[in-house]
Order: sequence, then C-alpha cells, then structure tokens
Amino acid sequence: MAFVVVENVSKTYSDQESGIGVPVLRAVSTEIAEGEFVSLMGPSGSGKSTLLTILGAMNHPSQGRLLIDDIDVYALSDERRADFRSQYLGFVFQQHHLMPYLNAIENAMLPLATLPMSSLEKRRRGLEVLEKVGLAEKAKRLPNQLSGGEQGRLAIARALVNDPPLVLADEPTGTLDTKTGDEIMRVFLDLNRRGQTIFMVTHNPENASLAHRVLHIRDGELEFAPDSTAGTASRFSPAL
Amino acid sequence: MRISTIALASLRRRKGKALFLMSGIGIGIGTAVALLSLSGSLRDEIGSQLDRFGANIVVTPHSDSLALDYGGISVAGVSFDQHQLSDADVAGISRIRYRKRLSVIAPKLIGTTEVDGRKTLIAGVDFSSELRLKKWWRLTGRPPESPTDVLLGYEIARAVSAIQAVPGSLAKTDRGTPHHVATPEEIRITKQKVSLGGREHRISGVIAQTGGPEDRMVFAQLGQVQGLLGRSGQLSVIEVSALCKDCPVEDIVAQIKQELPHANVSAIQQSVRARAEAVDRLSRFSLVVSAVVLAIGALMVFTTMMGAVVERTKEIGVLRAIGFRKTHIIRSLMIEVVIISAAGGVGGWLAGLLAGRLALPYFTEGGAQMELRLSLAVFAVAVAMGTGIISSIYPALRASRLDPSEAVRYV
Repeated sequence: MAFVVVENVSKTYSDQESGIGVPVLRAVSTEIAEGEFVSLMGPSGSGKSTLLTILGAMNHPSQGRLLIDDIDVYALSDERRADFRSQYLGFVFQQHHLMPYLNAIENAMLPLATLPMSSLEKRRRGLEVLEKVGLAEKAKRLPNQLSGGEQGRLAIARALVNDPPLVLADEPTGTLDTKTGDEIMRVFLDLNRRGQTIFMVTHNPENASLAHRVLHIRDGELEFAPDSTAGTASRFSPAL
Repeated sequence: MRISTIALASLRRRKGKALFLMSGIGIGIGTAVALLSLSGSLRDEIGSQLDRFGANIVVTPHSDSLALDYGGISVAGVSFDQHQLSDADVAGISRIRYRKRLSVIAPKLIGTTEVDGRKTLIAGVDFSSELRLKKWWRLTGRPPESPTDVLLGYEIARAVSAIQAVPGSLAKTDRGTPHHVATPEEIRITKQKVSLGGREHRISGVIAQTGGPEDRMVFAQLGQVQGLLGRSGQLSVIEVSALCKDCPVEDIVAQIKQELPHANVSAIQQSVRARAEAVDRLSRFSLVVSAVVLAIGALMVFTTMMGAVVERTKEIGVLRAIGFRKTHIIRSLMIEVVIISAAGGVGGWLAGLLAGRLALPYFTEGGAQMELRLSLAVFAVAVAMGTGIISSIYPALRASRLDPSEAVRYV
C-alpha cells in the first residue's frame, strides 16, 4: 500500500501579463511507499519544485489528487493543511532557511513552537535530533557560527524534530561543495536506513542515484516508470 | 520554544528597527501625554485658583431700581419694593440640597457709624467665616475673639492713629513710591481701643493694606453691628463660597434662588469661566495635535511593518511550510508589535511627562504642579498598543496570506 499517492496531478499557472494559462505539471501520477527514498531529477523549469510544493501540501494542484496516508491533502482547509504539514512533513530547503536569530536548538525546535507540548519535551526532542545529526555540542550556536555542512545538518534536524512520516528535500546539496554535500547525503541515507521516507529533488545525478528510485521530469511530465529502481547507494555503503 | 520565543528573538535581531518603531510611537504618545498633562495642570491650576477665589456667590436683597436722568444728566437712582435679608436666610442657604458643597457662608450687615468721631463704613460679620473667606487678608494683631473686638482697615487705622510704622522697616522698603503697600510686618498697633457709635471697642487687629474697600472699613461682630445700627436680625449681603473646580455653581445658585425667592443670587465666575474656556480650547487643540501625531506614528508603524513583511517573506514562507497556521504568523507579528508599542508607550509617557514638566512654567503663573496620573500612564500604553496593533493588522494579515510555495521559491 503506497504511503504517498500522486494521482493525475496537473498545475497550470496563469501568466500575469497575458492571462494565458501556462501548464507546469501535466497529469503526473506516482506513488511512494513507506520507507522509500525517491529522488526527482529534471532540467530547470521542468516542474520539479512545483511537484515538490504540491507534495509539501502548500501548492494546490489545478487538477488531480494527492493522498498521503490516505488523507486527501487538498481537500483539507488551508489551516488544516498547515496542521497536516506540521504532523506529516519535514522540509529541507536548498539554502536551509534557518532563522538567523535563533540558535541551533531553537532552530531545530521551530516546528514544535505551535504544538501543545511542554517546553521540556520540546527541548528533549530538539536535543535528540541535534544528536542524530551530530550537532548536540553546538546547540547554542547561531547559524552563522556553523559551517555549511553543519547548517545543512541543522536544517535536516529541523525537518525531523516533529517526527514526520515524510521528509521532502529541495536540492539539499545544491549550494554545498562536494565534501559537504556528501556529508548531507550520508545523513539522508542514514535516516532512510532507519525507515524514514524521503523525497528529494536534485540536479546531481550521483546524489539522485543514491535513492531507491529516480523519477525524471521534463516539461511537466514524468518520464520514468513508477516502478523503476535506482542505484544501490554504493558510494556511501562502506560508511553506513 | 513558543511563538513568543520567535517574536522575542526576532526583536533582538532587529533592534534598530524595533527602536525606530518604538521611538515613532513614543514621540506620538509623548506629544499626547505632554499636551494632555499640560492642559490637565492648567485645569487644575484654574481649579485651585477658583478655590482661593473666596466668595463666588453673592446674595443681596431683591429690589427694583429705577435710574432717573434728564437730558443725559443723571438725577437720581430710586430703589423701591426692597426685601431685606435676615439671619433666617443664612439658615435657608444651609438647607439647600448641595449644602455640602458650600465651604463658607458669610453674612454681613453694612452701614455707617462714627469711629472716633469720623463717619466710617462698618461691616458686621461673623469673623470665623469671614476670615476663612478672605484668605488674602493679612492681620497685624489677632483675630477678634470677644463680641467687642474689632478689626480696622488700614486707612481707617491710620486715620484714627491706631498704627505706626515699625522703626527700620521703611529703610528696607521703597516707602517713597506711590504703589507701596504696607505689610503687617511694617506696622504695629499703638492704640488699644476705639469708639464705635459712642461705645468703646477693643482693636483686635488691623488688616494690612489691600487696596480694596476694606482699607476704609471697620469690621465688628455681626450682632454688635446689628445692635449699633438698630437693625436687629437684618443683613445687607451674604457671601457664599462654593465655586470650586468640580462644583456645579449654576445648580447651587438655582437652589439658593429657590430657597430665597426674595433675594438676588448671582455667581461671580465670568473671568474664571473665560480662562476655563481658553483651557478647554487648549485641551481640544491638544487632542487634535495628539491625534495627528499619533496618526503619523501609526502610518510609520504601518509602512515599517509592510516593509518588514516583504523583508521577511522567505522567513514567513518557511514558517508556513513547516506547519505554522495563518493565525500563528499573525500572533508572532502581533507579539512583536505589542512589545514595541508597549515599550514605546511607556517611553513616550515618561518623555511626555518630562516635556510637560519642563514646559509647564511657560504656560502657568507659577505654583502649578504636574501630577503623576496613573490613569494617563495606562491611557498612554493602551493608546500606543492600540495604534501599533491597528496599524499592523493589514501587514500581519498580508503576511499570513503569503503563499508558502511562492515564499520558499525565493530559495
């Protein structure tokens, strides 16, 4: 039983000047199983980010349905969808988007800010995820006091703190050097080995090949068959 | 980690902007507080002037008078159908509904008598109430105690040689100028007794020169004067002190008129009312200026918050993406605004008080105090917070409506 079902999803943006609809996604369908690591590749403007934001429950498709854990995500009201994101999804953005005025543990705890949970419990969970990504000792540091790789790991920690069933990553290594990018990919693979479902958008074929399955998108259409499998994660196998 | 933690941390990070907003609100509130405190102090000063003013309601016998003239030359004034005031009218005044608002009721009988052979104006008064009423009288000697004690006006005391200048006092003061007024320290009583209508009376004290009619009058106990003039139980005038800043003088006058239909009752407040109206105008002007300054402050908050929302689009998008509801975004921004506004309100209140205190001497005749009014502090903070919140509603709503997918596209 698929955990994520993308069912004939289309998205058309309206051109602001001409008012003509510009199709970005065309009847995309795919499924993601629980515990699966799926990567999405495609050239710029192919609809990668749009599909990611639709999967992220923040971009209403023009047509089609998105089911996550059997919940029709876009049938929910706007505020309920925010709650859904809080409970089901973890985001890792390309440039991490850490709050510069919050220290590492505060950044990690950010998704918990709106949840009815004691401060102690929030702190415990914050420290736990920082430990998971190897940043426990730098909990008090501000983002600008962390290296690029550490910032990336902190962004992953923030994505994991609410224990989401699905982590969405938008080119998490896109702005990093190879070594730091590898560091981040190790964290993703480690998480996936522990059963975390991950959907990652990337331009990097090597990183994409580390996933169980690679989807290719071009002109808003998926090119790869849903049941295709990808690389074996051999690049990091010895380290894991 | 709560929403307030994010708001506080954001404030710490954006100290400069927070201070800018705070000072904007503070200037608005400070201006309002300074102007309102100033007009409040002026109002209080008028109130205390009113309280010092003495009698403000005068009750006189009712009479119809007729002025007669011929070819522009005044021939005579004729009074007829005159009703006398009596001791019973004092009791009547004490019965009115607002009797507790009356601080002094001072009945008088005025007539003429011979003082050491000189025809002089004499007033029979109740000294206990009269001296409370005439707070500006300064006595050499003591207030009368026994029924035969009298007070002499300065001029009459000089005329009957009852006083003399204290040696040395003339050297200290400019005695040569025509405007010099003798003070109680400069004179001493040299005569113990004086003859009033042929009867001996003890000179208890002399009223220092006032420049008013009392300088040429003798004051004795009311009963004595009534006996002396052969007008037992009669009164010429009743002065009533009731006018204070919160007294409903018109109502008191109406009630006395109702109680004493045969008397003329009039309130002396025209000059004070004119000043009170000027202060009212100043208060209204203060309110308008305050409103304008606050509106400018509100506009400043609005534009700064709109700028902040644009500047924080990405941040807000990330918060929305990780599960913050619209209401959470609004709450986070509003916490920041409330903190900034409250701080601006307190700062503005303090600055306004200081400015008002510094400006007060230029607006009053001295002696006016600026009270620390808690209500004004509460008002200042409430208005500051109200201004901040109202002018941030639209920016906050706009922030909450940011499409998270658009916002994170800034990636």
